[in-house]
Amino acid sequence: MKLSETQLVWVIATTEIIAMIGLKITPTIQIAKQDAWLSMLVGGIIGLAITFLAVKLSMLHPHQTLVQYSQELLGKWLGRLIVLPFLLAWFILPAILLRSFADFIHLVLLNRTPVWLIILLFIGLMTYLTYSSGIMGIGRYCELVGPSIIITLFISFLLNVRNIKWHHILPIYFDSGEINILKGSIAPAFWFSGPFVLLVIISFIQSPKKVLAKSMLGVGITVFMVCSSTLMVLLVFGPNLAAKLKFSYFVSVRTIDILSFIQNADVFIMFIWVFGVIAQSSLYIFIACYETANCLKVKDWRKIIWFGIPMIFITAIVIPDETAITLFDKYWTAVVYPLCGILIPLFLLIISYFKKKERVKSI
Amino acid sequence: MKSTAIIFFQLLIPLLMTTGCWNLKEPDQLAFVGGNGLDLTEDGKLEASALLVTPSGVGGGQSGGDKKGSFHVMNATGKNVSDALANMQTMISRVVFAGHRDIFLVGQKLAEKGMGDTIDPFMRSAQSDMRAMIYVVKNGRPKDVFSSKPFFDPFITTTLSDEQEAIGLKPYLAREFVVDVLSDGTQPLLPAVSLNPSKQYSYSGTAILNKDDGVKLVGFLDKKESTYALWIADRISSFILTTFVPEGDGNISLTIDTIGRRIKAKQIEERIQIDVHLIGEGAIIENNTNLDPSKREDLLLIQEKVNQKTKKSIEQLVKKVQEEYQMDIFGFGETVHQQYPRQWKKIKQNWPKTFPTVDVLVKVELQCNDSGLANSSLNRR
Repeated sequence: MKLSETQLVWVIATTEIIAMIGLKITPTIQIAKQDAWLSMLVGGIIGLAITFLAVKLSMLHPHQTLVQYSQELLGKWLGRLIVLPFLLAWFILPAILLRSFADFIHLVLLNRTPVWLIILLFIGLMTYLTYSSGIMGIGRYCELVGPSIIITLFISFLLNVRNIKWHHILPIYFDSGEINILKGSIAPAFWFSGPFVLLVIISFIQSPKKVLAKSMLGVGITVFMVCSSTLMVLLVFGPNLAAKLKFSYFVSVRTIDILSFIQNADVFIMFIWVFGVIAQSSLYIFIACYETANCLKVKDWRKIIWFGIPMIFITAIVIPDETAITLFDKYWTAVVYPLCGILIPLFLLIISYFKKKERVKSI
Repeated sequence: MKSTAIIFFQLLIPLLMTTGCWNLKEPDQLAFVGGNGLDLTEDGKLEASALLVTPSGVGGGQSGGDKKGSFHVMNATGKNVSDALANMQTMISRVVFAGHRDIFLVGQKLAEKGMGDTIDPFMRSAQSDMRAMIYVVKNGRPKDVFSSKPFFDPFITTTLSDEQEAIGLKPYLAREFVVDVLSDGTQPLLPAVSLNPSKQYSYSGTAILNKDDGVKLVGFLDKKESTYALWIADRISSFILTTFVPEGDGNISLTIDTIGRRIKAKQIEERIQIDVHLIGEGAIIENNTNLDPSKREDLLLIQEKVNQKTKKSIEQLVKKVQEEYQMDIFGFGETVHQQYPRQWKKIKQNWPKTFPTVDVLVKVELQCNDSGLANSSLNRR
């Protein structure tokens, strides 16, 4: 399986933009008020640093995925133990994502369709995408869908210019201060770099020369789009109202009204939302199955899909309600991400450096 | 293995042809709401009214025969808004659909008691339209306004949503009202309509609400006061100003359509001073004075008098709002917030009490850059 460098940019951007616009804008506004867009910028910088770490680590082990090089570095059993939290996260994430998105579609669009059916339809599509061509298919899909997501978002910004009130974001900085801005930036920072997918997908790139620049570009595009969307939400609703709206970007698009003629542009946002969620979940499902196969030394990773998918489906249905998702989110920012996104990669990076030195010495 | 996968994916194909069937809802199963009204009944129950559009009465064109009415007004009471709307549903054979709602009306009685608890469903409901406008019904009930028959449109809600722009106001949407209710400094100022004895609606100024006390009605401003208040709040795009000029012994009318305002906050020894600078440009549309606006000194005299008089009325209005209503409808608090963000944190808590004591300096700068198509008055010499 191969992934081109352009596809890498789009995989990062497509899988992150939609999830962040959908789920991260409102919580950030709740913390940093009208300076949420500054939080997004700061979070973007932290996210770029974390991405740098992940890419550096992967480039030390060309053509190897996380599970493969962790076993090489730490031995068979410790190497497997250390990737367990990653595997768990990659299986739970798509379930959470599917459930919250299906709930949203159920609320706004298909209110008489049972949620499990919506989830089933999505899962069917994702299974197809993952099973048929793995990361290659996902890469091609993102290359196609990513640009259309960005164009649609830009058009929605333009159409909403009439509703902008600049005084909503004033005064800049003073109200929240650096502490709140930093506090607001942590959760986005942990999402901008993606949930450690780079540790795996970089191994599929044939000539990893420009990988660092391309990954940074992908994260940069994400930061820019998410920051502008946050700014739009703030400019349309102001911090106080936006903090109370659950899907604030979606609602801000519903305010578009040009000469009573261009209305209900939220339909298009719905489209790109579906695109983004499918790309994101497929990627996580693929990585989860592929890495599980690596871990269990199963030759054909496709076999894992038939166990993984039903598991994800059941998890998605079993989630009782939204509060569980919020709880997971807190747990994610407090424990999972610092551990899997920063500590373990840093640990592996240091060990890799030492091993490399030893190897040089022995020669 | 591979063939099971293929069979599995083939099972998805029928979906391509069946999309949209599951959640199907034809328009003839829906009752479209044009506007919703809320009020209290005589015995204090919450009453929701809805203007339901009758599609067969609106469209159809030349199809002859007696046309049914184009709308129908329904009322129902309940514990809260949704309860009242659910009770309304029991009287209608089609599912009430509020996605195309243009107008919210709030009855004076409800506003007097406080409408804070009725705001939640407007933003929460997934059907709710972010583009609807909101009015207070002065001395009347929403259902009576809905029942009135407008000249141009088949039902009143479309008329009401065009009304604000027609009289030169920047449209004030329900969501902006919610923004004001949630804001730190600004008190909401809602446009008001009333019914005249012949059951025709008319715009009748604005209503001041107190967001700190359950969004309760505090008082009304008349049309002229409203114009000035909305000018300060930057919610007006044009208006017609008629002033008596004693030097010319007559009235002069200007239509002002380039409107601007600048508000500056100053802090002088713990006291806050607000400088309100209002500017506007316009044309003379009627001259009943002895003055000739084509002469420079006469034009300057007219401008000076108009500015003086307007300034005086605005100062009176500000004083009235500060002393009588004590509500910061102009958004001065927001100005202080933006220009003195550090100090605002201290002032914020006490702002409702500070506002009446704030010194407000008003400066009006109106220019007549066009005296119309005539020179001196066509009647006098």
